[in-house]
Amino acid sequence: METKNPNTSFNWKIAGKAGDGVMVTAKLVAKIAKRQGLSAFNYLEYPSLIKGGHQTGQVLAKSVGEATCQKRVLDLLVLFNLKGFQEHALEISDHTLVVHNSDAGKLSVEAAKKCTGRVLELPFLQLLRENQLNFLAANMLALGVSVYLLGLEHKLSLKTIESEFSDKSKSLVNDNIKAFNLGFEYFSTRFKPMFSLPIGKDEKLLLTGNEAVGLGALAAGVQFYSAYPMTPTSGLLHYMAGKQKQYPLVVKHAEDEIGAINHVLGASYAGARAMTGTSGGGFALMVESVSFSSVAEIPLVILMGQRTGPATGLPTWTAQGDLSFVLSAGHGDTQRVILTPGTAEEHFELTKLAFDLAEEFQLPVFILSDKLALESYHTMIKPEGAQVLSEKKSVFKSDSTKNYLRYLVTESGVSPRSVPGQLGGMSLTNSYEHDQHGFATEDAQEVKDQVEKRARKLKALASLLPKPYLIGPARADITFISWGSTGLVMREVIDQLSGSNNYPTINAIQLPFVWPFPTQEFLSLVKNAKKLVIIEANQTAQLSKLIAQETGLLIKDKLLRYDGRPFYVEDILEYAK
Amino acid sequence: MVGHFMLKIFWSMPNKNYMPCFDQTTIKSSIAPTWCPGCGDFMIFSSLQKALVELQTPKEEVVLVYGIGCSGNMADFNATYGLHALHGRAIANAIGIKLANHKLKVIVIAGDGDLYGEGLNHLVAGMRGNHDLTVLVHDNARYSLTTGQTAPTTQAGTKTKSTPTGAIEQTFNPIMTALTFGASFVARGYTAQPVELTQLIKAGITHHGFALLDIFQLCPTFNKEQTHPWFAERVYNLQTEKHDASNKAEAWTLAMTETKLPLGIIYQDKTSVAYHEKVFKQLDLSLIDRQTNTVELSSALEELS
Repeated sequence: METKNPNTSFNWKIAGKAGDGVMVTAKLVAKIAKRQGLSAFNYLEYPSLIKGGHQTGQVLAKSVGEATCQKRVLDLLVLFNLKGFQEHALEISDHTLVVHNSDAGKLSVEAAKKCTGRVLELPFLQLLRENQLNFLAANMLALGVSVYLLGLEHKLSLKTIESEFSDKSKSLVNDNIKAFNLGFEYFSTRFKPMFSLPIGKDEKLLLTGNEAVGLGALAAGVQFYSAYPMTPTSGLLHYMAGKQKQYPLVVKHAEDEIGAINHVLGASYAGARAMTGTSGGGFALMVESVSFSSVAEIPLVILMGQRTGPATGLPTWTAQGDLSFVLSAGHGDTQRVILTPGTAEEHFELTKLAFDLAEEFQLPVFILSDKLALESYHTMIKPEGAQVLSEKKSVFKSDSTKNYLRYLVTESGVSPRSVPGQLGGMSLTNSYEHDQHGFATEDAQEVKDQVEKRARKLKALASLLPKPYLIGPARADITFISWGSTGLVMREVIDQLSGSNNYPTINAIQLPFVWPFPTQEFLSLVKNAKKLVIIEANQTAQLSKLIAQETGLLIKDKLLRYDGRPFYVEDILEYAK
Repeated sequence: MVGHFMLKIFWSMPNKNYMPCFDQTTIKSSIAPTWCPGCGDFMIFSSLQKALVELQTPKEEVVLVYGIGCSGNMADFNATYGLHALHGRAIANAIGIKLANHKLKVIVIAGDGDLYGEGLNHLVAGMRGNHDLTVLVHDNARYSLTTGQTAPTTQAGTKTKSTPTGAIEQTFNPIMTALTFGASFVARGYTAQPVELTQLIKAGITHHGFALLDIFQLCPTFNKEQTHPWFAERVYNLQTEKHDASNKAEAWTLAMTETKLPLGIIYQDKTSVAYHEKVFKQLDLSLIDRQTNTVELSSALEELS
């Protein structure tokens, strides 16, 4: 879409080596935009190394509607080095302005000819040197240039820099501000800002998906988190670790993922609200324990952040390739719930729900997300500051019964759960198949009773799950089916298409959870569709397989991506045209 | 602290004064043990029960976490709070239990294959963290529930079903391992000495920190090499030797001597501070006691604004 409205949105990107500080600059651009009342989405790409490589941060910001994903064609591109011209050639159009660090090399005549956008040179290092500033402040110089050209508020930016570096020394903050101002003023005599965006109320949060999950866990009263670092969920480990001082929470960096999930099962068994987080490879190690959670009926919440596999794969890139794996993880008839949040709000709300479901129904509950949603920054409406925990359900009350049965067979499948320390609740919680007391059994009828009891819990909890929903108009030429983070790009596409006559009309059915599969609700949404297209970030169309398995519906048309990159708005528009 | 936590006890915990303690009858479940005649598990089972009765521990305050193996089958024979875990993972569960509610006494019951083989990483982590657990290792030098394959503590060269030409690996030395990774209580028991074994279990339970108790036991069905006469030639009691258990260098020397096998407390750091004691400044409230029914998010929201 080439429609460029100077007063409603901008699409900005910065690129450099790892270590140049592009992620900090990108987060600040998003934060300044947010504080100016805009909605923003900040997508980050980085290689799996600490110094070198090529790293980018980009921000789509909007004053009308929600910015929920990354767009390819840029308004402003800031480059630390020449590599960016090749890497981002397809993102530069004739309206793109490219600001380039001329100290990193001169653009060849040939390359300059190839570049369709307008190129402005800025000697990053020379400018810093002349002003006795450290070369490390180059990212603040880039921020200043960006803020000026994007037409963002100067004063607000200074305040944001100060608050972002509040834990740093005063001299460092001063140097950063000096560098920012150098950048801000550099073009001010020669060019006008590209945009004139309104200043609105600052009412939102800017946070990553990991932080939204962390906030949701805190709101749900999380007491214990154990994990082994792994991209893209390390952010949650860091967030939770930092919250131990303020909340009654214990965070454990475990010896490995098997240790992590078993710490969580132990803590949960003892009555704590407990959670772990990992990615595909780490989750592969946890699988036996998922089965344990299911059979022993120990509440378990797992954030499963997908990245590109198989094996070590592309550690820092996104994918939705683990859906089939998570659906079937666990030997035997393992029961589970799989929530698939897309927006930051969904990450927050569904994490709260995950704790409630896990505790009441005593089974593993997944928050299945991915690198795109978890590591990108989103703007999100502020939740209530005072969060009230839902009442504990299916809890054994010490005096309620004389002969306590831990695995009492009930109609709903849910048995009251005791925790060690409770008078009269003494029982065995067992990884073996067991009788109602918890003692191991091989009796055919008892085994059958327990297997069926656990299966019934999925029916009992179905009404508590959110509903699949439609994004966009009720009727459309093409209906996409999306889950998790692909819903983010569908929102943006549909938002951009409203009022446009150049494209077929598009809507999307978004699944905020995939298991137990909402067959009836899904079929009633699909009923009105003219043409169905599945959109997924994997090669085997894993959701379409699930839909076929659960509904018999075969979806022929598929838009799939499995190169580690997320879908861009343009990818969907191109496909639809 | 953020806001005002409204304290509410979600899990109704009894007043300590009314909690009955174990006695020799009520500690047994209705299920009779299924071990082979002559199995060392019987002695560990009865010594543990005796230790818990003698310590006058309130029934509800004990959690036994079992591994998978013949020893783990004890889960069905004890009437206590119990978690029959996965093979190798009992210590990891026990760590979580202790952190969630450090008022519980958490005891791990598993075999040498479970803890020194499948679950070694968790054992090492447990010792390095000095988590306040008592770990009873039923060391019969075989994987017996799976019909007698070689185990980490099997003597090198021993022929078993899985090593028909003899085990090539060196024999695992649990005492050296425990000293290396910083276990603060390292002991060895022997099922032929049940009185001493009971004392060792009691000492392990009352110790503040990670207590490893490696227990020599027979497997009359699958281990025909290590019989009572075999042990009689090698074992001796540290108590009669006046061993100073606080001396780590001496403990090392004992651990490295393979011809003579000491029984008793080999090493104990009586000043040991357990993991949970470093986590919680106030020990009167356990983590689950700190559960609140409202959570104040304001400052967390402010950071993201």
